[in-house]
Amino acid sequence: MELAVWVIILPLLTAFSLGISKLYFKKIFFKLVIGSAILYLYLLILVITTSYPPKVYSIGQWGLLGINLMVDPLSALFLLIIALLFLPFIIFSMKYTKCIKHDYFIFSYLMVAGISGMVLTTDLFNLYVFMEVSSLSSCALSLYKKTDRGIEGTFKYLIMSTFGSFFILLATILTYYLTGTLNMAEISLAFEDTPFTIKSTIMAFFVFGYAIKIGLLPMHAWLPDAYEDSPIPYNVLSSGLVMKSAVYALIRGLYIMFGIDFLDESGLLTIVVFWGVITFITAHCLAFQQSNLNRLLAYSTIAQIAYIMIGLFVGTEAGLIAGSFHILNHAIMKGTLFFVVGIFNYSLAAVEIEDIKGLGYKFPILSFTFVVGSLAIVGLPPFNGFMSKWLIVEAALEAGFTYAAFFILVGTFLSLTYYLKVIVTLYTKNEKPLLIEEAGLSLKLPTIFLGSLCIVFGIVPSLPLHLITKIPTFLLDNGDYIRILIGG
Amino acid sequence: MEIAYVAVIILFCLGMYTIITKKNLIKIVIGITIVESSLILLLMLVGYKPGGTAPILDKRYEIVVDPITQALALTTIVIGGSVTAVMLAMVIKLHKRYRTLNIDEIRKLRG
Repeated sequence: MELAVWVIILPLLTAFSLGISKLYFKKIFFKLVIGSAILYLYLLILVITTSYPPKVYSIGQWGLLGINLMVDPLSALFLLIIALLFLPFIIFSMKYTKCIKHDYFIFSYLMVAGISGMVLTTDLFNLYVFMEVSSLSSCALSLYKKTDRGIEGTFKYLIMSTFGSFFILLATILTYYLTGTLNMAEISLAFEDTPFTIKSTIMAFFVFGYAIKIGLLPMHAWLPDAYEDSPIPYNVLSSGLVMKSAVYALIRGLYIMFGIDFLDESGLLTIVVFWGVITFITAHCLAFQQSNLNRLLAYSTIAQIAYIMIGLFVGTEAGLIAGSFHILNHAIMKGTLFFVVGIFNYSLAAVEIEDIKGLGYKFPILSFTFVVGSLAIVGLPPFNGFMSKWLIVEAALEAGFTYAAFFILVGTFLSLTYYLKVIVTLYTKNEKPLLIEEAGLSLKLPTIFLGSLCIVFGIVPSLPLHLITKIPTFLLDNGDYIRILIGG
Repeated sequence: MEIAYVAVIILFCLGMYTIITKKNLIKIVIGITIVESSLILLLMLVGYKPGGTAPILDKRYEIVVDPITQALALTTIVIGGSVTAVMLAMVIKLHKRYRTLNIDEIRKLRG
């Protein structure tokens, strides 16, 4: 019954007990890290399998006054991404963080606690607090290497992220002022007789605030700088989860509180689709000019999230399914690519594209995994990226956004050019590269696990789609969600 | 009452202007603090009732201010304090490495 509460409590508890164990019981520190990650995986699987039909968990039996948590299919999708990424992330980081840094694991548990809180909560202010928890600990993780560029990039990240949070907080306060409640279902009911202009102003603040965190076009510059010199396993979680959690908060807020009819009426759907098209075309062009692997993948992340936004904001059932499927697929594909780059960085200190010349013959399995990941992200069959991209194109055509569908195909060719550039460099003959340290099994295993998921989800897309096809039921028609929340 | 809302708007815009236009790192952090204070002030105003007392459930106190916004304001203060602390720590590190606080010069030195 109270399992969903433990999804937030367990990582939070682990983070604090890791802090104590760092001071007094150093011996059990890493046992605690691994043990808790495995327990967390088990807990997440239990919650995901019992997520349908959605249930409300009212903490302390206060009803609508208190804190309510809700697990619906969209939350379950994000819990699934945490389940798929977190244990590989912990195993990879154990080896990757060469000199033992205890704080790194404390902050990663705090970050996951924040994200799982964001995903489960139904309260607007709790959403803001959990978002701040996750973004502050995300900044701390990104600082881990303490290089000049790392500090400068993270400073920019923190400034931009706080700047966005202010607009979100402002919108939250204005919502409370108008409706007198912070519960999303009650807000939605109270919003029905609010004037159009006031509603659209509040919506504009929400969209602007989250657009900074998501990295839509003019506010994208912090992302490549923050990724450039951060520990690479962190990049996996950041592009897979932290950025996506902002997408989650945006669509949850907009679809539940304002409703699809208002979004269509106010013209937001058209604006966001157009915005997304400009963002991914620009991001692809900028990615082509990069010589640093991390920056290239960061620009690719911006472009992929723009695809997700297009899918989620065409405003049809097919679009929501396609966008949610791409959220899952992008987390897996980008995870694969970043892990492979992380291994190259670990064993050869490779940073630039030139540094990985000729590694295709030295690391055959890893290079093959990289090729699988990059072809999947470009969108070639039979990998998972193809499936979700195809669904997005189909949904855009169906909803009448023909130009979006056309530019997604153009974008595919653009992304093919820069990923091919990396793959060709990977398989160009070169003198023996300087090997610093052999990559162990604990680095290779998470990489190959995610790489094989790319193929499995491409061949058997019905596996995740089983869960994803239930998402639009509780988003497109907000009545169902409200009924469950208020009735429970 | 109205004049307090005007003060919130002025503080918010002033802070935003500082963040966007200033080149000095410390001034940017100050701008962020100003915006945050304006939002806390707004929270207090939203819950305020003229002549209200502390929210005690008793018949003697008829007009009480909204306790929820006060709780929210406390949370916002705590979040803002920790964000400012992290930012200032990073400013110290940046100053130690580059010997300057000007954003343009740091970008130039970084290459």
